[in-house]
Amino acid sequence: MEHRQPQPDVAQRHEFGGVQRKRAKRRGILWALVLRVPELSVLIILIICGYIVMAVFSKVHATQVLSPLSMWLIIIGSFLISTVIAIIAVIAGIGGGVMFTPIMLGFTSIDSLVVRATGLVVAMFGGLISSGPFMKTKLANLRVTYFCAVPITIGALTGSVSAIYLHDALGAKGDGAVRLSLGILMLVIAYFLFTGGGKTEYPEPKFIDRFSLKLGISGSYWEESLGQVVEYHMVRALLGGILFIFLGFIGGFFGMGGGAFLTGTLNLVMLAPVKVAAASSGVLLAISDATAIWTYLTYGALISILAAPWMLGHVVGGILGAHLLIRIRAGFVRKVLILILLVSSAKLIARGLEGAFGIHIPFL
Amino acid sequence: MEKDQAKPPLAGVIYGGIVYWGVLVGSLIVIIGSVLAFLGDNFVPASYWLSTVWQGQSVSQIWQGATGSLPMGHWYLSHLTTGDGLTALGIALAVFSVVPALFLSSAVLFKERDWIYGSLACVAGVIVMIGVLGLISVG
Repeated sequence: MEHRQPQPDVAQRHEFGGVQRKRAKRRGILWALVLRVPELSVLIILIICGYIVMAVFSKVHATQVLSPLSMWLIIIGSFLISTVIAIIAVIAGIGGGVMFTPIMLGFTSIDSLVVRATGLVVAMFGGLISSGPFMKTKLANLRVTYFCAVPITIGALTGSVSAIYLHDALGAKGDGAVRLSLGILMLVIAYFLFTGGGKTEYPEPKFIDRFSLKLGISGSYWEESLGQVVEYHMVRALLGGILFIFLGFIGGFFGMGGGAFLTGTLNLVMLAPVKVAAASSGVLLAISDATAIWTYLTYGALISILAAPWMLGHVVGGILGAHLLIRIRAGFVRKVLILILLVSSAKLIARGLEGAFGIHIPFL
Repeated sequence: MEKDQAKPPLAGVIYGGIVYWGVLVGSLIVIIGSVLAFLGDNFVPASYWLSTVWQGQSVSQIWQGATGSLPMGHWYLSHLTTGDGLTALGIALAVFSVVPALFLSSAVLFKERDWIYGSLACVAGVIVMIGVLGLISVG
């Protein structure tokens, strides 16, 4: 009897070839990134070596709450989660704090002030590290960034001082109120992302107001996906500036940067292309959070051992995200983000109601 | 239009460059600090920090148990040889890189006679410095 090997059909062969080409392309992009950003590879190697030394030579003692292994796992887990959050955050044009702060406040018992201080680190470092690539590629608009930097830093400083003051004055009830209001804020952000997504990639203003014209907030950047330079003109600078005071306050108070609102304001109100809005909001977030963080740091709310892996994860993820943003579209990231926001807002509202008013909601 | 024609402004490149390398230097210090913290050389033991935070103790409870009072200042500057002090310094240094970046970028803008944006960058730098120095604080 003749034995025949089953032959793959043409469609299968095409599919197989396509997968291989995609893999090769992905490997090519990663390799190009290693060559283009050698400091990233050095940093990753140093972090890995550091964590191995921490595991092997650890002199940390066990406590009633945690064993040395679980402490090490908290550090490693924080670093890995932080890296993933940073990549998503930079691509979506939001601060990582929008994911970190609600998840930590909703699902752990860590003090809200510690979470908010660490949230600022998370929100800030993705933006800080991606400032370099974004400025070089002109994705971030320098003029818009500096124009909005003044109102946003004023708001951020006021917000952080208010957060410490209310925490001291209201105690546990204040904690509940913060969780509840953050939960509601998350719902607004989710709605904002849901309705604003995909409609305003390259907005075209019908009318440029005199103030914006005087400020000259226009620009151009190389759009990799179109293979051409995109020119744009931004509008409503005065309204944007006023909104940025409020957005800075939210970021400083809740420790989450408010990047989704920043991107939305730049894109929907001031009519920046979505990629420019995402990149500029990252740079702006970093400046605003770099103002707010000192209030938490000097108060003692920033626990350095806990914040360190979150910072390192965001530095690594921020560089990766900044280089990926130049190549990909952000649409799919929005959907994942909306889901995360909805789940964490439900949990936050439940915990907030329990903490502030003693109302227990089952299953949440 | 060609790709090469879209050149970035020098002030932006300087801002981004200083922040980028400032954060990388800060990260290096944070890595060393974190390793030292796990090797046992600390201002407050790493196990204490992690356990109390994980238990959900408040900031004042954590510091009361560790040193007797809240730090209310740049506590790490007097504990630079310890793991937790060095880690905090690394984070602070990386964040602080925004200040020289804003001022140097502003200087470039002034040199280019861009008075409006040079001034705005300078004002933003001053506001960040107010935060660093803790000139506006609680109580």
